[in-house]
Amino acid sequence: MPNPYIPMLTTVKSIVSENKVNDIKTLELEFKKEEEYKNFNYIPGQFAEISLIGKGECPIGIASSPTEEGSIKFTIKKMGTVTTRFHNCEVGDAVGIRGPCGNGWPIEYMKGKNIVVIGGGFAFSTLRSLVVYLLDDKYRKDYKEITVIYGNRDSGEVLYQDVLEEWKKRDDINVILTIDREEEGWTERVGFVAPVVKEVAPSPNNAIAVVCGPPIMIKTTIVVLEELKFKDEQILNSLEMRMKCGIGKCGRCNIGNKYVCIDGPVFSLAELKKLPSEY
Amino acid sequence: MKNEIGKLYIELGEEFNFYAPIKEKGNLIFKRVLNPDDIVLDYLNSKVPPKEILFPKMEVLFEYKTDGKDVTEIIERTDLDEKNIIFGIRPCDAHSFVLLEDFFAFGDYQDEIFLKKRANTIVIGIGCNTPKSTCFCTSVEGHPFMKDDMDIFLVDLSEKYLVEGVSEKGKELMKRLKWLTDAKKQDIQKAEELSKQAEESFETKLDLKDIDKKLDPNFEHPIWAEISDICIGCGTCSFLCPTCTCFDVIDENDQYNNKGRRIRIWDTCQFCLYTLHTSGHNPRDSCIERCRNRILHKFCYYPENYNTLGCVGCGRCIQLCPVNNDLRAIIEKVNNIKKEKEEKISA
Repeated sequence: MPNPYIPMLTTVKSIVSENKVNDIKTLELEFKKEEEYKNFNYIPGQFAEISLIGKGECPIGIASSPTEEGSIKFTIKKMGTVTTRFHNCEVGDAVGIRGPCGNGWPIEYMKGKNIVVIGGGFAFSTLRSLVVYLLDDKYRKDYKEITVIYGNRDSGEVLYQDVLEEWKKRDDINVILTIDREEEGWTERVGFVAPVVKEVAPSPNNAIAVVCGPPIMIKTTIVVLEELKFKDEQILNSLEMRMKCGIGKCGRCNIGNKYVCIDGPVFSLAELKKLPSEY
Repeated sequence: MKNEIGKLYIELGEEFNFYAPIKEKGNLIFKRVLNPDDIVLDYLNSKVPPKEILFPKMEVLFEYKTDGKDVTEIIERTDLDEKNIIFGIRPCDAHSFVLLEDFFAFGDYQDEIFLKKRANTIVIGIGCNTPKSTCFCTSVEGHPFMKDDMDIFLVDLSEKYLVEGVSEKGKELMKRLKWLTDAKKQDIQKAEELSKQAEESFETKLDLKDIDKKLDPNFEHPIWAEISDICIGCGTCSFLCPTCTCFDVIDENDQYNNKGRRIRIWDTCQFCLYTLHTSGHNPRDSCIERCRNRILHKFCYYPENYNTLGCVGCGRCIQLCPVNNDLRAIIEKVNNIKKEKEEKISA
């Protein structure tokens, strides 16, 4: 029985600034012990408790896919004390990691289905993980049509431009980008995510919609999906909560008798409707 | 063995960390005994529950060393294998250990720090001859003489103690205490009488049958606003609750000595910061939601997850609440929701 609060140690391998205002960075971490990396078996949608030991720990969704071997990535927005410290990190710095935590996207349940990925803002990180996973040669055949609808405030906020370009070149995925207001040079769609989903009108037949973003985007998008006749079991959400331990002990991330850190963060709309609306 | 508690300490104090109720600055608390004369047993209940021996207010998760910038070594705790005796614990608090153990062992992740200490602890408890006015253990499936959760159980027969080995661990330990004499029939009889007297002396008997099913559909009921109206959000009810387990985690960095430690400290769902997101969003933004969470956690979520109530009836939250927000009255209010509804329908 190992102490579950002891982090494994990694080193920062690379740092990428993801947006124009430079408050979102992706840190690529490499495990110091090969064995610990081998045992770090995760699926898209899971998160980890990462820490700068001595400064603090926080839960962050894993942005890389398990198919991208060798390292793991976290996309971090500069928000509070710990995330600001992460932004001050340099290549070679030591980072502690505990995990993987949470349930992740139900990749088994999603097999054989059309997948509609709907994301807004920097919540796209675990969706990046999911799409990279779905597009991997080994797994692509297990899933049918893949549609990605990704909205941002402006063009400077669009994350992961390199992978988005790669996806756009492929013919087995439909990538739709949108920004809130018109901008010079922007050739993609304009408008909030919910109306764009309405325009695109993905079919609910044999489909799963994966929705991740700010609360208002999730709420409005769910209304549209319901209009499109998506059932509650076909709509998946990933929730955020304040967390400390990530393993169901510190208490604060409960919604009713469930803990977001161990029972979530992914819940279907059907599951959420059974819980009190305290999130 | 009335005068022999000192003997017990001398015999076991070296092998075990010996904890017992001690008076300190006017408060009765469980502490490591250094002088057996300090042990106080004619008390009703300690102010801070003895959970703090196994789950202290502040506890080290691990320590680390740095090279001035980056961590170079993580040092795990080595004191978890020490053997403990908790002496003089009351049945409600002993029962809280069972709930705490269930909680820390729940799910895929085991809280090794708590569970190891718990496994290395012998619990020697004592029956409550005169329960307090705020006690209600008999309402939550407990009893002032419940010995099931202890290793050794004592009954205060005023001039001596009746000692009973309950668990194998307890019986084993008793074999070592050579000065114990066989109990007489009348002593056992007297203990039974005391138990009965204690049970009958309870002023409170709460109706907690199906309380979870009453609470679940009333999440949005206006009684929560009523209940939280006088609450000042101090968190005493949860900090001093023997079954509350919430904690915060922080790093204490000693940069001048290139070392530090990650610690956990008690936290409470009664504080606004407890659930506050970095974005500013707070799922339990007001006192109403926070009061509701405490009651629902103990009487609805706990039964759903563990099939038992998350309350042992010690009465600390009633006795120590600065604004007298009485849990018994809250339960009564919840019970009345249904009655009011029925009355309305029949009217």
